[in-house]
Amino acid sequence: MKDLTLALATGRTAKQAIALLEKAGIVFPDYHNKSRKLVMVDKTKKIQLILVKTADLSTYVEKGAADVGVIGKDVVMEAQPDVYELADLHIGKCKVAVAGFPETALEKNSPVTVATKYPLITKSFFDEKGMAVETIKLNGSIELAPLIGLSDVIVDIVETGTTLKENGLEVLEEIMDISARLIVNKASFATKTEDIEQFIGKLTEALEVEI
Amino acid sequence: MYTDYNANDKKVKDYEKYERMIKTINKRFKTYGYERIKTPTFEPYDLYAEVKSSINRKEMIKVIDCEGDVLVLRPDVTIPITKQLADDYMTLPHELKYYYVQDVFRQSQVDDENVESTQAGIEYFCENSPEAEAEVIALACHTLKDLGFQNITIEIGHAGFVQSLIEKANFTDRTLTQLKKLIQSKNIVELEPFLRTLKIEESLIQSFTKIPMLYGDPVQVSERAREITQTEKMDETLDYLLEVYEILALYGLEQLVVMDLGLINHMDYYSDMIFQGFVEDFGRPVLMGGRYNRLANEFGAELPAIGFACTVESLLEASKAELPIRRTPVDVSIQYDQQNLQTSIAFTNELRERNYTVISSKLEEQLTNPRQVIYQVELTENKYKFFYKDKSHTFDSFKQLLKLISEIKGGI
Repeated sequence: MKDLTLALATGRTAKQAIALLEKAGIVFPDYHNKSRKLVMVDKTKKIQLILVKTADLSTYVEKGAADVGVIGKDVVMEAQPDVYELADLHIGKCKVAVAGFPETALEKNSPVTVATKYPLITKSFFDEKGMAVETIKLNGSIELAPLIGLSDVIVDIVETGTTLKENGLEVLEEIMDISARLIVNKASFATKTEDIEQFIGKLTEALEVEI
Repeated sequence: MYTDYNANDKKVKDYEKYERMIKTINKRFKTYGYERIKTPTFEPYDLYAEVKSSINRKEMIKVIDCEGDVLVLRPDVTIPITKQLADDYMTLPHELKYYYVQDVFRQSQVDDENVESTQAGIEYFCENSPEAEAEVIALACHTLKDLGFQNITIEIGHAGFVQSLIEKANFTDRTLTQLKKLIQSKNIVELEPFLRTLKIEESLIQSFTKIPMLYGDPVQVSERAREITQTEKMDETLDYLLEVYEILALYGLEQLVVMDLGLINHMDYYSDMIFQGFVEDFGRPVLMGGRYNRLANEFGAELPAIGFACTVESLLEASKAELPIRRTPVDVSIQYDQQNLQTSIAFTNELRERNYTVISSKLEEQLTNPRQVIYQVELTENKYKFFYKDKSHTFDSFKQLLKLISEIKGGI
């Protein structure tokens, strides 16, 4: 039995998270870009790493299959898992924004159709503005929706804006800044307090060096 | 004639495990002086609508009776017990200790978990006292230990602690929900910026931002908590919790207890100390409880109480230690031919009267019950035969049969 199980989402954040972990002295020798291994342990054999799909990560942590996880704020906002959110890791930075054709006006009173991966974030954002919207939940290639007339605008993650530009879209309004968060299962925090505090301590130290 | 034990019915085994768990819980609750009661399965919907923000109304299963009244399937036990008691008493006549083991029905909107689950819990109607609080927590620990859990952690908090801070500011419902959410998720990263957007005193901001991390060893945590107390009541709360902790130490439970002042229970009826229990490698709390002195006020009575409940299904899921579950073998199996049906029934009855478990079947029947059997009896036309292990005897009356059985029993 390993002391802690850490879940990372496959993809870009994983790479940055691994780099941060390395700075904190937590090294996973088996990890490299092309590896298809899903479970591995660190050098000290104290921490087990599992690689899961982004959308599933909060479930793993909420149910206690993983004690801690690194996940984008966007996913936390959308999935609303019952977990502790203990640190901002300042990696995987991007924005969630409303995007559409340049001339699109987000007028009040006109029902706007929004295509998004994030129906919850979308709803609370437009609720706050007092606008009625119809959301269409999509799982990928959100940019396509306004191009073929499926929706007026989209709500999606924007990193560099290249994909938007190439498709003739632009950011109309920013909703919020996103970065990766460290989430912790509540029961793990109760039963493995010391291990988790040590782990977080190492990470925040590494973060401070970076800043 | 030995039949494989392990290839036995999973349904029966699962139920046996469930039943055994309930038996253990029952026994332990009783040793602390609790008596079992039950409440109706159908409750008027209004009962739950009356009690402010207790159970999410959307989670309740509603039914309409023939009069057209809306009923709900019991979603909670604490509320109906308190209501029943409030109908009889305006104030507490004396201490009351009740426990219950019964099903509750809730349909969660996100999870596809079972709508029906078995809740086991206690309600201790008594005035606030560190002794009573500690005894309830001790019972919770004792029960978990009985069930074979090793690594138990009990988090103790107080509903009044954060509340005292909240009362110092004028929050809108919306802000309050958001604030509680940030505290519950110990989200220190966003808590401070969020508080800064509100127009509240600097000292309050400082207090709120420290709340989530007031977690850990009760003595140390309460020391740190002293720095952020804003009212006398908050200091008293800390004193009180420490007293409870000191008594828990007398129970030898100080290792299991941590203080979490950021603990907020989603059940709003809790008024004072609250707590929840965790066991190793299980992602959710296995039990929750606290003091709910004001609940009876909703029904026009003054009945202070403390209690906790656990969900048996969660405990089953959490108990990975395989309890040696074996099906109890059948004592006697009687096989008979057509002519001996009457004798078989007579023997069976007599044995059952004497509390033996008996199954009987026709000799030529192919589908015999695969359960393990201790004694075999064969009743054929002219011979009664008795088998035990690899020995066999003949006999000719029920008396002799009893004698054979008791001889073996005596020999064991």
